Amino acid sequence: MARVEMGRGSPRGLEQFDGHSEVVAAARTQRRIALGYGLVFVLAILSVPMLSLSLPWWTGSRLVGGMSPSFVVVAGGLYVFFLALGVAAATLARSVEDRMLGTSEDDADHEPTR
Amino acid sequence: MSGTDTASLAVFALVATLVSVVAWRHTRATTVDFFLAGRRTGMITNAGAICGDYLSAASFLGVAGAVYASGLDGIWYATGFAAGFVPVLLFVAAPLRRLGTVSLPDFLAVRFDSAQVRVAAVVSVELVILSYLVPQAVGSGLTWELLVGQGIAGLSPYVTGIVVSTVAVGGIVVIGGMRGTTWNQALQFGFLLAVVVWLSALLWAGGFSYPAAVEQASAEPLQAVVSDRLVGVTNQLSGESARFGAPGARYGPIGQVALLVTLVLGTAGLPHVMNRYFTAVTGRAARATTVWVLGLAGSFYALAVLLGTAARVMVAGRAEEPWLAELTVDGVLRVPEHALLVLGRLLAGTPGLAVVSAAAFAAMVSTIGGLLLAAAASFGHDVVARIWRPSASPRVAVVAGRGAGIVVSVLAAVVAISVEPERLVATFPSVIATMVTWAFALAGSALTPAVLLGIWWRDATARGAVAGIWTGAIIAVGALVVGLVIGPDPSDGLSAVLLAPAMIAAPISAVTIVVVSRLDTGPSVRPRVWTRMHGTAADRQTERMAQITLRGRR
Repeated sequence: MARVEMGRGSPRGLEQFDGHSEVVAAARTQRRIALGYGLVFVLAILSVPMLSLSLPWWTGSRLVGGMSPSFVVVAGGLYVFFLALGVAAATLARSVEDRMLGTSEDDADHEPTR
Repeated sequence: MSGTDTASLAVFALVATLVSVVAWRHTRATTVDFFLAGRRTGMITNAGAICGDYLSAASFLGVAGAVYASGLDGIWYATGFAAGFVPVLLFVAAPLRRLGTVSLPDFLAVRFDSAQVRVAAVVSVELVILSYLVPQAVGSGLTWELLVGQGIAGLSPYVTGIVVSTVAVGGIVVIGGMRGTTWNQALQFGFLLAVVVWLSALLWAGGFSYPAAVEQASAEPLQAVVSDRLVGVTNQLSGESARFGAPGARYGPIGQVALLVTLVLGTAGLPHVMNRYFTAVTGRAARATTVWVLGLAGSFYALAVLLGTAARVMVAGRAEEPWLAELTVDGVLRVPEHALLVLGRLLAGTPGLAVVSAAAFAAMVSTIGGLLLAAAASFGHDVVARIWRPSASPRVAVVAGRGAGIVVSVLAAVVAISVEPERLVATFPSVIATMVTWAFALAGSALTPAVLLGIWWRDATARGAVAGIWTGAIIAVGALVVGLVIGPDPSDGLSAVLLAPAMIAAPISAVTIVVVSRLDTGPSVRPRVWTRMHGTAADRQTERMAQITLRGRR
């Protein structure tokens, strides 16, 4: 089993290790999470032009002044959505890493990273 | 050029030079120091620098210009540019940094353990950089033309702008390296954001109402200037006259999806933006940096859209003023990219124009700086130090990189000088944003599929990656050439896809990687590469050392 030791030459007691099998499992989980968020992102962004084609109210009605729901979402709402999605995804990814990595005491072959 | 114009440009040049000189004094002639700023760039500084790198002339002048020209459809440029960072955050940022490489080709070469992958990636990267540099240079020429209006040494104002920006940025990159470029980009983004906030504040102070402006702009059918006369813009969805606040002024359904896919996929393959992630302290920091980028870039684009809307209303209302009459035909700007510059003058007089022009130069300079540095890294590190002369010292790689930066900037300037923007405007209403889209298309087609599959699919092999990169690049370049030859103002259908070809080229590239990798009997990813890319040992160690250092200081 490959294993990565960090910082050969670093102060004693600070070396960190990742076992290959735990990294494989963590990467698989991260991929699933990223694909899930990616799907939400794609659906949200494609829903705007699809609603424009299918729902006259979406572009024809006025929410405030001359702004239709479509205009409000494209000119501002989507940026807020991107940020919220980013914060949620980054938080979850970090907690998955904290839970799944850095726990192995496996002593198989290891080599320093660059 | 007024005294204010001269002063604003002089202050801008002085600050950029000072920052570069200070950075030069802190930079050693090593690969990590010159190309990666020692991998010690803080999160917020890096987020600012990424925004400075990313928000080019296409964003600063182009987005407002696209909104001015096409209303709601123009806003999709801003949406696509901002959306591109979501896939970067989800799929790319952390693993990209964790592998510990120097450039995008270096990342792909280490992941696939292949010199052929490195060569294919370097060629694609240089193509992307060149096609991204040209619209920045065009933007420099247009801004100089409007701000200064005079050439130097017998050159036209347009050519003078290109030459001045090329020489200035070449100097900044060669002197300051990644550290100087980082500091300049972060400062320049701060300046850009301050300028759009300032213009928005001036609007509101003057009683501007965003909803009322959209209503006013949508009251009359959209018109554009073509060959010095006004023509009505046709709605691509209904066939009727297009309106500012309604979809269809620029794109049909296929055209809009093609643009979005190209911008979203392209970001993850842009070498100058991805190179910034290698300067982050850890993979976690790279991911968190992207969250900051989403917030900062989103704020910038939302305000740029507002300013484009304001320009549509205000320019028409004051078109009788002599200086503006020269730039308009019956109240409509001849070049939509002038929208923000004109708005600056309308809101704050000549000083307003000077400040917006300085910001436009800052946008171009910071992006050109990032592009030249990416060109330098891929040539100096990947070509010279890894392929041509593996025994060369880091100093040789740095010198070669500096030389490559100069050559690429001159090449882009020559191409930009041969472009006639006013002729192109007749074909592409928002010429800078459109040209930048072509670079996104190349990046999204050739590089992004290999990056994504390399990070997340262990069975992707070097032969698969090489086949995918070349396939994506060839299809994208071929589609763009054919599209430019056959398609005047493509809004929908085949022509629109040809000029934003990532929608077809990226899937074909990805399928090629999968099929060739499946058929390939060669090795898949090495376990230690996978462990390094997806593990957090390096992150944890860096964080612990930082904690200990902080405790020691207390």
